[in-house]
Amino acid sequence: MLMGYMEGLGLVFQFGTLLAIAGGTFLGIIMGVLPGLTSAMAIALLLPVTFGMPPVMGIGMLLGTLCGAGASGSIPAILLNIPGTPSSVATTFDGFPMAQKGEAGRALGLAIVASFLGGVASMVVLSLLAPPIAEFALRFGAAEYFSLSVFGLVIIASVAGKSLLKGLIAGLIGFFCSTIGTDPIAGVDRFTFGQLSLLTGINLLPALIGLFAVSQVLKDAFDYDPSNKLQNSPHKVDIARPRFLETLRNWRALLVGIVSGSVVGPVPGAGGSIASLVAYDQARRFSKTPEKFGKGHGAGVVSVESANNALLGGALIPTLALGIPGEAATAVLLGGLMIQGVTPGPMLFENQGGIIYGIFLAYLVANFFMLIIMCLGIKLFVRVLLVPRKQLISAIIVFCFIGVYGVDGDVFNLYIMLAFGLLGYFLNRYGFGTAPVILGLILGPIAESNLRRGLQVFGGDWSPFFTRPISVTFLVIAFGLLVLTLWQNYRSRQKEANSAAT
Amino acid sequence: MAKEIGKPIFDLFLVVAAATGFYMATTLPAVSMAGGLTPATFPKLISGLIFLCAVPCLIRDSYEWLAARRGRDEAITLNTMPSKKGMMQWLIIVALIIVYINLFERLGYIVSTALFCFFNVVCLIAASGEFQKLNNSRKLRNLTAYTIFSVALSLVIYYVFTELFNIPLPD
Repeated sequence: MLMGYMEGLGLVFQFGTLLAIAGGTFLGIIMGVLPGLTSAMAIALLLPVTFGMPPVMGIGMLLGTLCGAGASGSIPAILLNIPGTPSSVATTFDGFPMAQKGEAGRALGLAIVASFLGGVASMVVLSLLAPPIAEFALRFGAAEYFSLSVFGLVIIASVAGKSLLKGLIAGLIGFFCSTIGTDPIAGVDRFTFGQLSLLTGINLLPALIGLFAVSQVLKDAFDYDPSNKLQNSPHKVDIARPRFLETLRNWRALLVGIVSGSVVGPVPGAGGSIASLVAYDQARRFSKTPEKFGKGHGAGVVSVESANNALLGGALIPTLALGIPGEAATAVLLGGLMIQGVTPGPMLFENQGGIIYGIFLAYLVANFFMLIIMCLGIKLFVRVLLVPRKQLISAIIVFCFIGVYGVDGDVFNLYIMLAFGLLGYFLNRYGFGTAPVILGLILGPIAESNLRRGLQVFGGDWSPFFTRPISVTFLVIAFGLLVLTLWQNYRSRQKEANSAAT
Repeated sequence: MAKEIGKPIFDLFLVVAAATGFYMATTLPAVSMAGGLTPATFPKLISGLIFLCAVPCLIRDSYEWLAARRGRDEAITLNTMPSKKGMMQWLIIVALIIVYINLFERLGYIVSTALFCFFNVVCLIAASGEFQKLNNSRKLRNLTAYTIFSVALSLVIYYVFTELFNIPLPD
């Protein structure tokens, strides 16, 4: 491990890599500030920039984006009462009242330091937990990988869509799309319609950009209303001085935030909004002055912001160790890793230790850059909100085109991007969610090839899939989760019907 | 709660698409390898599952839509048509993207991008009614600003991506 870290240090502490991480963090902060633009979209748009980069540099840039976007959602939340990202919703509870009391700078200072400390703590959790999980995953064979794929799909389907059925449909659409192209075992063309570009299957990048960027642009175009102009914040922020001592004085809230983020992070599909709300609720329970929460209390901001960034490291654990992303942003990051030629999973830790430890260190460095850039550029980032939406829509589409065309100069991929954009728009509009589609696209080939290889190895016998301990554990958990989610959906429908009747 | 007709229509689309996918999978060559699964097995299984999941969604969403239409459920407000203005803006963007894809290699990156950006902004403000509210001199000033924005954006991006990141773009 030590050798791995030494190798990783050599890869990260190069001028180009540090510059890429800083650039990614800067762009992530800008994207995080803009409501509606998600960190998944930010990473998808930045992917083409990383094509020519070595893996650690490229992934470092994407991690910087993730880190920056995770932290900067607090800026509009505190200054304008508009959460930049869903995970910043709870920041508005205390952040905005603080700004109204003339303490905007203090709230931002606390948010920045809490995000930084949460991020650093989550890097420690990531580096401690990911290697043993990856080592455990070395025992996996074809049956286990198939069951893991089913488990991953069920778990994200149960939380991403508005209902389990809809989430499952979205995941299965991804599975079906992954069968397009040449069959991995028999070499037969499937659903290619004579189109050469489809022989190698659907390229992941057009699908990613379509589902996460184009679909959002289409939604923005639908919702575009020139009268909805955001006004500049009336709150004065001369400088957002980082408030280390005050953040540490709120150690209870900080600890609660870090623990909540680290626990919720690895749970696939749980997401930042759950982690931050759990952290806020727990911080209030553990506080000696719970009555101050919601009225502009610093501890509220500290708990939420530390949870937001503590979540990211946790979410990277299953992504890197098992190749199973937990939510949209890490699913896109996984796509980025694969485009970089890095295949996440246990073999990554075995064969490319330097890269994986380099990725851990790059994430740590990204947190430092986030701290510096947020403190220095706070006034600039607030002004980003004033960029007219119509120009932003044009610019995002242009970036999408470059990203997709840049993969292999094939115009057909632009049509694939648009098709996935339209699909993603309707899936989001009608409550199916887009994250399961991308997970299905990633997991589909793993599930199919391992199912068929497994059956070849077991001589056509299905029973090992249900008798091998690890495989059956994944399947039982997946089935249990299916039943539990169906029960929860049924209960919430009953409640809705009852409340409508009364 | 707002209910719109698009929901059951989209469910129906999924049901039809799943059935079509299943049918197309049956036409794949039946190359059976050791283990007994053919290239058609997985697509058939997946499209079958999509069909089975989409049918209950279609029934539920259709029932809710009909209930809302008949005014049985007062908690549900009927949203027969999504905003016309929104739909127009949405269609404009989709149409412009299709045109942009078709012109991308023919006209080259800089010209096609500048044209796309300009028409995108102008069509959006025209469709949203923003443009009509301006007086003539303001219109001219805005059009000039949009032209400068479109040309500058395409030139800057072209330079950054081709020169700094070595990503080839059509000339």
